[in-house]
This record gives sequence, structure tokens and C-alpha cells, in this order.
Amino acid sequence: MTRAWRFSVEHYLVLPLGGLIALVWANTFEASYFQVSQALAFVVNDVGMAFVIAYLAQEVIEATLPGGTLHPRRHTLVPVIAGVGGTLGAVAVYAAYIQSTDEHVLLQGWPIACAVDLLVCLAIGRIIFGRSAASTFLLVLAIAGDVAGLLTISRRHFVADAHPAAAVLIVAAIGVSAWLRRAGLRSMWPHLLLSGPLTWLGCYRAGIHPALSLLPIVPFLAHTARDLNVVADADRPTHRTAHHFESVFEYPVQAIAFLFALVNAGVFVRGFGTGTWAVLTASLAGRPAGVLTAVAIAVAAGLPLPRRVGWRELIVIALAASPTLSFGLFVAAAVFPAGPLLIETRMGALATAAGALLPLAAARILHVGRFGDLAAQEPVRAKLTEGHA
Amino acid sequence: MVSRACDVRIPRLLIVVGLVSALAVEFRAQDLSVPNRSDSVKFAAIGDNGTGDQPQYDVANQMDLWHRRFPFDMVIMLGDNLYGRQRPADFVTKFERPYKPLLAAGVKFYASLGNHDKTSNNTYEPFNMGGQRYYSFARSNARFFVLDSNYLDPAQLAWIRRVLGDSKEAWKIAYFHHPLYSDGGRHGSEVDLRVRLEPLFVNYGVNVVYSGHDHIYERVKPQKGIYYFVAGSAGELRQGDLKRSSLTAAGFDQDRSFMLNEIAGDDLFFQVISRTGQTVDQGVIHRGARP
Repeated sequence: MTRAWRFSVEHYLVLPLGGLIALVWANTFEASYFQVSQALAFVVNDVGMAFVIAYLAQEVIEATLPGGTLHPRRHTLVPVIAGVGGTLGAVAVYAAYIQSTDEHVLLQGWPIACAVDLLVCLAIGRIIFGRSAASTFLLVLAIAGDVAGLLTISRRHFVADAHPAAAVLIVAAIGVSAWLRRAGLRSMWPHLLLSGPLTWLGCYRAGIHPALSLLPIVPFLAHTARDLNVVADADRPTHRTAHHFESVFEYPVQAIAFLFALVNAGVFVRGFGTGTWAVLTASLAGRPAGVLTAVAIAVAAGLPLPRRVGWRELIVIALAASPTLSFGLFVAAAVFPAGPLLIETRMGALATAAGALLPLAAARILHVGRFGDLAAQEPVRAKLTEGHA
Repeated sequence: MVSRACDVRIPRLLIVVGLVSALAVEFRAQDLSVPNRSDSVKFAAIGDNGTGDQPQYDVANQMDLWHRRFPFDMVIMLGDNLYGRQRPADFVTKFERPYKPLLAAGVKFYASLGNHDKTSNNTYEPFNMGGQRYYSFARSNARFFVLDSNYLDPAQLAWIRRVLGDSKEAWKIAYFHHPLYSDGGRHGSEVDLRVRLEPLFVNYGVNVVYSGHDHIYERVKPQKGIYYFVAGSAGELRQGDLKRSSLTAAGFDQDRSFMLNEIAGDDLFFQVISRTGQTVDQGVIHRGARP
């Protein structure tokens, strides 16, 4: 495998590729684009994305195991608080922006403000901070925001006929997976083939977003402690087994990510509106303000910051968590059906790409990370625990 | 003296000529082009009207004037029925007061929701929405399908399919806020909605579709046998925003306007009136003559 191919796989370059194709297509042959994207939307967003979310969840769970980046979990407290604060800040600004206009129908789009693009965050963190505690801080912060986003969309608003009693299928699926794990099965296939359909059907019929359907069974899959780094983590020998979820789904997830971007990123250039500006303002202003406020409260309450993470780094971290992008597209599709509201909020999510430049500029101005003192750039494979040494 | 007499006569002559010309113009402007039959279905259409500003009141006055000659008994509202605040007092200043003469005359308003409307406005009694986001009603040989284009969810799509299939009326008329076809420069066609709705409209024989959102008037050339109107300037106006294209059959973007419509047998007559009472478009649609 060439380095370029590996690089594109690990950096999920299929996402911007799919997004670019979608943008060009939607603005040139719009009718054919929307016919194709709306035809694929269910399969990609409601079925395929279940594997992507399970894939990411598997990585997060493994990172919290002994030896993982996020172990012990209590040391992730401050970044989790920062993530919650960022989410609250973004949602508050989104709601305030909509209230300041009169397009009240957009209020139900507030979960979009929760979304953080994990991959972009990781890439920015790596560029500025390398493998330092600040990078991990940013990662945990982003995960906290996305978990909040997933929770808010878990109840779908536009399911035609929801049957809450169907949730019993989810419980049954969890029971099957617990039994499989107790029986000592290392392979993921029985989980996916037996529990997977049960929990997907349970979610779908109960009105829970089916993209979340594999989450209940992920904790029962085989795990190996790992350094959580979705981006540019080249060597993961412990995960290269035929039974490991990450190994098996590495390329299918790439294909789904490409289709996801293709289906969801197509917006009209003229399609901007109040929703666009609301998502943009919430992400670029609300979230950073919320992150910094939450950390200030946590520090005032006596919680320590990780080593080498001061206020200058926190400003850069807060700005780095602003791009909503792909996860914003996903949440938007979960809260709005096809139509102008979806188009304008998706456009806002895409426009937050501009936010990727802010942390780089801030890091340069504040002399943070690679733009700061060279001595501070020693290549530590830091975990948050270092900050408490 | 002569010259003095001339001085007096010339202005008088001018006044007389001016008055005659003005009356002629006024007569032309007030000319009713719809047949105004006694047994027909008559209705007006307004969109993007609820500003509470003077132009909305001007349009409402024109509607009242025309109503005296063309007694339409209902008005279809194409969304953005109230802009800005939507407190009880706003329903008075942005709806009840401007349309007071029409309401007093028993004209019923049937609203659809725009992006500036609160969904909860569907419980406001004079909007006749029955607490629904989308609904349908019939008048004689015509059935009207009122959709919520803000939120075209699966439940609404299933409902549309069902009620269109069940409809036995000769005329099927749909209206909602966002236009499937529009040459408005600010918004334009909502293609993503079109992909969902147009196949249903074609399959179930919808004849005419009214929308607002773009603050202009436009009559679109028939698309797949369906006539589309954009009438989003009964309060708001985006002057000069009509970017005429091969879609455009007629349009008006220089002032506010509203539509008069009359269904008589297999014909639907329409006349578009500006804020100052000028007729800016008129015509007839023949049902069954699929273009």
C-alpha cells in the first residue's frame, strides 16, 4: 500500500472528495443530484452511518481501557466539562440568533449546534500541538460535544409511525450480545448478524435514529487498549485481526464516509439563509465562548488543567473545536427533512470549514504549539494523566 | 380681456382633459378580466403579506375594492402570514386590521405556513387551519391541498399521497410557501422539494400550484402539465428580483400584488392586481388541456 493511499485513508480524504463532488453536482445538475441523493439518503444515513458511528465508538471505548489515551477516565473531567460548556454555548447562541430573527421553524435545528467534526479537530490538533496533552484535551472535548449531539438526535422528530414498545428489541439485542460475550466469542460477526438487525429494527420502529443502533452492542465487542488517534495512527498491529471490528470495517467505513459526503454535502450556493448564519455563529463564536467559560468555572472550582495547557492553548483549543462540517451535516439530516431548512443549515455546517483557519491564526498570534517555544515541542506521547504528575 | 379669457379657458380645458384621461386610465386599471359568474369558485391569493407596514395595508385596500366587484369568498395565504413578532397584538396589526373589511364581509382565509410563521399559528382561528400544519378543503368542483413546505416529513408525504389519491374533484390545486419553480433571484426554485412533490402532483393530476417565498409575482410556463404561480409580494417586495428565464411566462417585480382567481367549469381565470390597482397579468387555464 502506498503512503499516499494510507494517508488518504487515515485522514478520511474521501469526505472532502465526496463533499466537493456533491457541491459541484448540486449546483450544475441539481435535479439529478437531488434525485440520487434523496434515493440514497436512507441507506447511507440510517443504515451505513450505524457502522461509522459504531466504528468511532469502538475507538473511544478502547481508548478508555487501561493503557489507552483516555485512561483513567477521571482525568478527562476538565475536557468533558469544556465539551459540555462548548455545546451549551453553541446551542445558546444558535437559539439566541434564531430568536433575534423571526424564522422560528429553525429553532428545532439546535442539535446541529452540538456537532463537532472529530476528524477535522484531530487534524488541527495534530498540526498545532503534535501528540501533546493539548491534542488529547481537544479530542475529548470534541467527543463530548458529539455525544451530546447524538443524544439530542436520538429521538427522531419526523418518524411517521413510532412505536416505543419496539425498544424491547434493543433490550433483546443487548441480551444476545451479553450472552455471546459471556460465551467467550471473540468474533464480532455473531454480534453484528444477530444483535445488529434486532437493535436496528428496534431503534427504527421505536423512533430512535437508527444510525445509533449499533452503539448498545459496541461495548460487548472484543476490545484492545489503544492510543486513540483516528488520524495518522499508522501502526495498530493489535487491531489487525480478522475478528476486530476496526480491521474489518476500515474500508467499508471509507466507502460509507464517501457516500455520506456525497449524499449530504450538496447544497445550492444560493441556498444560504438564517439557518446558515445561525449554525456558523453558534459554531465559531458560541462554542469557543462556552468552552472557555466552562473551563474557567472548572478551574475556579479547583480542577487542574493538564500540564502544558494554559489559557493561550485553551483559546486555540476552543477555536479548533468550532468546525461542525461532516457531523453537522449528519445531525442536520436527522433533524430536518429534505427542504430549504435542511439546505441552509447544511450550508452553515459546510461554512464552518472556515473555522479551521482560526485556531491556526490564533496559534501563530499567541505563539502556541508548533508556533511557540521550540522547547515546548518535545515529542511526548502525552496523555492527560501527564498533567497531573 | 381675450387673453385673460384664454388664460382661464386653457387651464379648464386641461383640467377636463386630465380628468377624462385619468378616468379612462382608472377604468382600464379597474377592468375586471375574470368572468365573475354567479356559480363559480372565486378566491384571492396572497403571499408574504404579514409585514404590518403600509404597503400591506395598500394591497389589502385594493383587495377590498376589488372584492366589491368580484365577490370572492376566500383567500388562500401562501405563507409568511406574519413577519417579526407574533404576539396577539401582532395578529391584529398584521392580519385583522388590514383585512378587516374582507373579514367583516365573511371572506375566509386559509393559511399555509411560511418560514417566518410560528407553527403554533395553525391554531389561530381566522387562518382556518384546524390546528394542522397541512390540510385540505373543497369548494364545489375544486379541492385545495395546503402543505407545510418547511417540514416535508414522511408523515406529510404519506398524507399528500393519500388525499390526492382520494380526491374526486375536477380541479386539484396545491399551495404552500416554497416554490418548486421560481426565477426569483434571492431564492429561486426549491429543487429538493420538487424532487419529492412533482412526481406526486403529476401522478395524481394536480392542475395548479401557488407558492410565495420569493417576493415577486411570476407565472411559470407549465411544467409537466402543471401551472405554477409565485405570488409572494402582497406585503414584502424585492424590487427587480425577477430574473427572467426560459421558465418565465409572465412576471411583475416593481410593486406589490395579489391574485384574483375564478374557477368556472373547466376554466380557471386569473388576474393579478398591483398595489395601485393595475392589472399586471391575466389569463385562463383550461383543465384537461395538458400543455
